[in-house]
Amino acid sequence: MDTLNELIGGFAAAMTWQNLVFAFLGCLLGTIIGVLPGIGPVAGVALLIPLTMNLDATGAIIMLCAIFYGTAYGGTITSVLLNTPGEAASAITTIDGYAMTKIGKAGAALTIAAVGSFVGGTIATLGLVAAAKPLGEMGLMVGPPEFFALMVVGISLLVALAGKSMVKALISGALGLLISMVGIDPVAGAPRFTFGSDNLLDGVSFVAVIVGVFGLSEILSYRKDSAASIVHAPGLRSLLPNRTEWRRSAPSMARGTGIGFGLGLIPGMTGSVSSLLAYVAEKKFSKHRNELGHGAIEGVAGPETANNAHANAALIPLFTLGIPASPTIAVLMGAFLQQGLTPGPTLFTEHSEMAWAIIASLFIGNLLLLLLNVPLVGLWTSILRVPASILTAMILLFMVIGAYTINFNVFDVFVMIAFGLLGLALRHLDIPLAPMVLTLVLGPLMERSLRESLEISQGDFGIFLNRPISMVLIGVGVLIVLSPLLKLRKPKALNEDPET
Amino acid sequence: MPRIRIAAAAVAAAALFALTACGSNAGAANSAGDAFPKKGKSIELIVSFSSGGAVDTAARLVQPILEKELGTNVEVVNKPGAGGQIGYTQLTSAKPDGYTIGATGSPSVVVSPLDPARGAKYTRTSFQPLGRQVIDPAVIAVQPDSPYKTLKELLDAAKAKPKSMTASTTGLQTGEHFALAQIQEKTGAEFAPVHFSEGASQATTAFLGKHVDILVANVSDVTELSKQGKARVLGVMTTERAPSLPDVPTFKESGYDVEAGTVRGYSAPAGLPDAVAKKLEAALKKAIEDPTVVKKMEDLGLQTSYLSGADYAQFWAGQEEDFKKVLPLVQKKD
Repeated sequence: MDTLNELIGGFAAAMTWQNLVFAFLGCLLGTIIGVLPGIGPVAGVALLIPLTMNLDATGAIIMLCAIFYGTAYGGTITSVLLNTPGEAASAITTIDGYAMTKIGKAGAALTIAAVGSFVGGTIATLGLVAAAKPLGEMGLMVGPPEFFALMVVGISLLVALAGKSMVKALISGALGLLISMVGIDPVAGAPRFTFGSDNLLDGVSFVAVIVGVFGLSEILSYRKDSAASIVHAPGLRSLLPNRTEWRRSAPSMARGTGIGFGLGLIPGMTGSVSSLLAYVAEKKFSKHRNELGHGAIEGVAGPETANNAHANAALIPLFTLGIPASPTIAVLMGAFLQQGLTPGPTLFTEHSEMAWAIIASLFIGNLLLLLLNVPLVGLWTSILRVPASILTAMILLFMVIGAYTINFNVFDVFVMIAFGLLGLALRHLDIPLAPMVLTLVLGPLMERSLRESLEISQGDFGIFLNRPISMVLIGVGVLIVLSPLLKLRKPKALNEDPET
Repeated sequence: MPRIRIAAAAVAAAALFALTACGSNAGAANSAGDAFPKKGKSIELIVSFSSGGAVDTAARLVQPILEKELGTNVEVVNKPGAGGQIGYTQLTSAKPDGYTIGATGSPSVVVSPLDPARGAKYTRTSFQPLGRQVIDPAVIAVQPDSPYKTLKELLDAAKAKPKSMTASTTGLQTGEHFALAQIQEKTGAEFAPVHFSEGASQATTAFLGKHVDILVANVSDVTELSKQGKARVLGVMTTERAPSLPDVPTFKESGYDVEAGTVRGYSAPAGLPDAVAKKLEAALKKAIEDPTVVKKMEDLGLQTSYLSGADYAQFWAGQEEDFKKVLPLVQKKD
């Protein structure tokens, strides 16, 4: 009951009109920043921190949290409408989000994304209120070996992404792993596959790859078909999802919340892993898995819910342990420090009122974002009224700008173009693209945790089987890999699906 | 990009206006007509370690004051990996125009170019030191439920069974790795190093989750943990006790002649125009010595120890000499 009282106190403190204005402004600014290509939540929050410097601590943190949601949602808007992800965590949304746009359901996709974000964020915040401490401790149980085992489960889900041919899916997956190796070796510091180029020391930029492989290669492949296959905007009237779409989204949101919340608790896990695995989970477990890749609402609802649940769950390690679980959270942590607050368990003892006001504002921020964005869906989608030929040129422009603004480096534009051509080649060869993206995201995390684990065990691979959590996870991974063979699931799951 | 910047600036301006209307004064300081920095062109401050670690925190504390002093945006950008090498490479390959500066921490920045196996593309002279901020001594800590209550007990146990305990570092040849090597050389106690190349927050997380036995870190990393009783700090590797850990004996007090730690400052790529360097140095001095920053650094267990660009450069050269001597200790294959 104490918790409840304190939360109510927090709501009272957060609901002053100034704080509401800050929260609203934060959501709005964040959304606008998020829509600008290339500027994701990290840069967005960092860019706007100065604005909050002279506010009182509670107001400043409330506004920053709101900016943080806003940018995350803004990134989704360009993913869905322009096939250009504003940030890594909504990259996977482009597949079905843009496919929905092409069949005139952009409004429904954006509305579901907003609702999913709200659901995921709110449930994760409830978790923060109800059980922050035990959940934070749970995150700590995931050490390097468990982290590696989780990545094994993630990679094993590749079988769900296989189209007609498992061999082709594996080719795609191996390609992704190979690309993820580019850059400086994280342990020994030796450059790998950089061909002497400084630009490759950091590896290839994930967003540039995604924009190229999914966005550019799709536009390049239009030429072959007809101009008619480019965006139609017939369904502008249908801004809201219909009843079937709502019904189909609900289980996806539930899965997305679970995945995002669980992974968000683990320090070092990124939001893009959550959204990616949520997508793959849809591909494997959704009732309409066959439609994924062709504009299925599940492909938007799952990942978008997951990345918001992740973002909010990642606040739990910050509040309970003082550990920033992701780069964006670290920016927030910096803001806390600037305001003289040290995140961690002492926050609740020394600045209890403020801590609860911030938590209350997380609920308010999520709600405001929903209220702000659903009415704006109409405005955003009106962009599709632009004639197809002009719109395509605009999308290309957006892609180039988006790739450039990742690091303000022209090299990323070339990466984007190169991967666009690669994507086109793979489409021609009927090699699915999604497995490559999966391994590209998971590869570096897998490598890091593998090498840390082996240092802990001093070279003994038994470490993955001696520890209960990692043993169970590895077992799950093996089962998933074997599931098509064992026909645990209907083989229909792996039917023809050229898109992914 | 100019268009984006303009758009972002417009958004920011609109927000500023709105905020002033709310009764808060969020005006930014103006720089005079000087060419550097151009208004609206932001300065990138590269932090070569992941967010949340001590280097990152320090950079984020000085950042707002730098912004005020320079009259433009300063953006802290994390480029973690390879024990800082990725970020340092990026810093030194940036144009020396003052719009890219970086946090430089030793030993990582001093040592990485010394070992040819790492293929670093920079040397000491690729950097133009702008100012030193802190010296952060190394510490060794065990789990709160560990049977070892004193440094001697721990080291004796490690001597009896070499490599039986794992100890975290923040990467190959980082301060923590050097500290472990120095302990081994001076006392004969050998731990099995686990390199968390993404930085201190990953190492600390693994220690809190009891995935490694020993936390080798800096004073600043453990001050809060020690307060909360999540780590038992057994020794500080300096000659004097750390003010934020008054109850922890130094290695010297315990009879071991080991001194190690991390030194942090800020640098630019070599070749800055003099006027730009002066301006950055002055702004950094202001930011580093700002009483509220010093106070906040103290809260985090960090002792501010400012040195000007020239003095920092000299200090750096001296460190390089010292590290060359112990380098073989951290080069062998683990």
